[in-house]
Amino acid sequence: MTFSPSQIAPARSVRSRLLGRSRDHAATDRAVLVLHDVTKVYPNGKTALEEVDLVIPEGDFVFLVGPSGAGKSTLIKLLIRDELATHGAVVLDGQDLARLPRRQVAKVRRKIGIVFQDFKLLPQKSVWENVAFALEVTGTPRKKIRPAVDRVLALVGLTAQRAQMPNQLSGGEQQRTAIARALVHDPRLIIADEPTGNLDPLISWEIIQLLLRINDLGVTVLMATHNADVVTALRKRVVALEEGRVIRDEVGGIYHRVD
Amino acid sequence: MIGFVVFSLRRAWQGFWRNALMSLAATATMVLMLMLLAGFWILQTGLQASLDFTESKVEVVADLKDNVKTFEVNPIIAELQAMPEVREVDFISEDDALVLWRQRLAQQGEEDLTRYLDANPLHASLNVKLVQADAYAAVVSELRSTKWNGVIDQVKEQQALATNLVTVTNVLRTAGTVILVVIAFIVLFIIVNTIRLAVVARAEEIEIMRLVGASDAFIRWPFVFEGAMVGMLGAALTLLLLYFASDPIGNFMVGFFQVLPLSFGSLAQELIVLIGAAGLGLGVLGSWVSVRTYLIR
Repeated sequence: MTFSPSQIAPARSVRSRLLGRSRDHAATDRAVLVLHDVTKVYPNGKTALEEVDLVIPEGDFVFLVGPSGAGKSTLIKLLIRDELATHGAVVLDGQDLARLPRRQVAKVRRKIGIVFQDFKLLPQKSVWENVAFALEVTGTPRKKIRPAVDRVLALVGLTAQRAQMPNQLSGGEQQRTAIARALVHDPRLIIADEPTGNLDPLISWEIIQLLLRINDLGVTVLMATHNADVVTALRKRVVALEEGRVIRDEVGGIYHRVD
Repeated sequence: MIGFVVFSLRRAWQGFWRNALMSLAATATMVLMLMLLAGFWILQTGLQASLDFTESKVEVVADLKDNVKTFEVNPIIAELQAMPEVREVDFISEDDALVLWRQRLAQQGEEDLTRYLDANPLHASLNVKLVQADAYAAVVSELRSTKWNGVIDQVKEQQALATNLVTVTNVLRTAGTVILVVIAFIVLFIIVNTIRLAVVARAEEIEIMRLVGASDAFIRWPFVFEGAMVGMLGAALTLLLLYFASDPIGNFMVGFFQVLPLSFGSLAQELIVLIGAAGLGLGVLGSWVSVRTYLIR
């Protein structure tokens, strides 16, 4: 999949049109995500994150890099409030997750779209049903589901494969289905956890292109990855974790530290 | 709200059939366990009925003095019948006693020696049947009270026998109840664990629901309805099997316990309520506790 520059219209209007909602984005520089002095110690005593500070403004595209065990997964778990920080504040779209009442958790999760290395598609449901599932289980009225699903499938380029089952799709198509599902709630932030980990380099680039395009439409993207080529080539903001600490946070960074 | 219920029911139905093997395994376990429960319930009911029957055979026998007139006996009978512990009072005259004695000898095939007697040696007596065997002492002390001295010759001493019988029946009653409770707990744990397996098999589906922001209710209720479906289907199959087996079971009950006053009709009603409630309750409980593990912490 390739995109010519002419396809990328001014971000806000296209996003509103494509995702079917108009929002007042007066504060364009408003932070989608703020982590302040976050420390996470698991009950077994292992410290996974230590004094992490991170601010992600709206519309940012951030690579999260670091070796296995550096705390990337823990960070993502904190963002979707699967775990709570032992210390410090995680603020998503103005809401402190630690103070969130239990009943609000599900609603806040709809502000995040999450994409995994292993796609996590339901094998007995078609592409269309997999995407619609995200709306069904959050109580969206049926008449709103159809146009929303059709829109995101068009966005990721899977309109023709809408009736196919996941095992009939290539890896790249499966991941695009997962991205469509992540987008269907019109989220503020897309978290992609190693989205290209199971894909060959060519298909990986397709997925990256798609995420970039979504970012151009105004959705903030946080992508955890080991793919050094991609990170180095794109020169986006790079946040590097090591042993639970942020050791580097630079715009236009590359995968490895230049010593 | 209606939309939510429709959604949950539709998801429960889909979930049941899309994981048909797991659902049928859970239903089969449900049927086996409910059969076990029903079996022990039937045994327990039979046991209780036969114990009641045995206790009802306990009677207090008081020999009357010779030549006692009917008007002297009637006040005693009236007073005994007024006691709540007393079920029935039979007056056996001297002639009745002789007839019964001859019948018993004839049944045992013994030679009737009474025809060599010139007078009836037997006493008239009062046979008091009790509602419950543990009222024995109260009735004996009533009959032994001094105001009946002129009428009652002696109260036959069977206190020890009655006490032993009450002890044995109480032990059997308690044992039956304890075994039934233990069986009920075994059934509870096995069914809950089977449903847990069916839920664990779909952990990924639940995981996805959580990640896309489904609320607890949307995750929980489809599984609860599905558990209810397994429970009701299991209960229906169990009752169907019991229905086909009811004739042999009835014959077995009569043969094994020698209990005539047991009516299978009332037992059948109890069983329908028991099996239905246990199936539905266990299905719902099983899925409720199994899904809880996966909800927002």
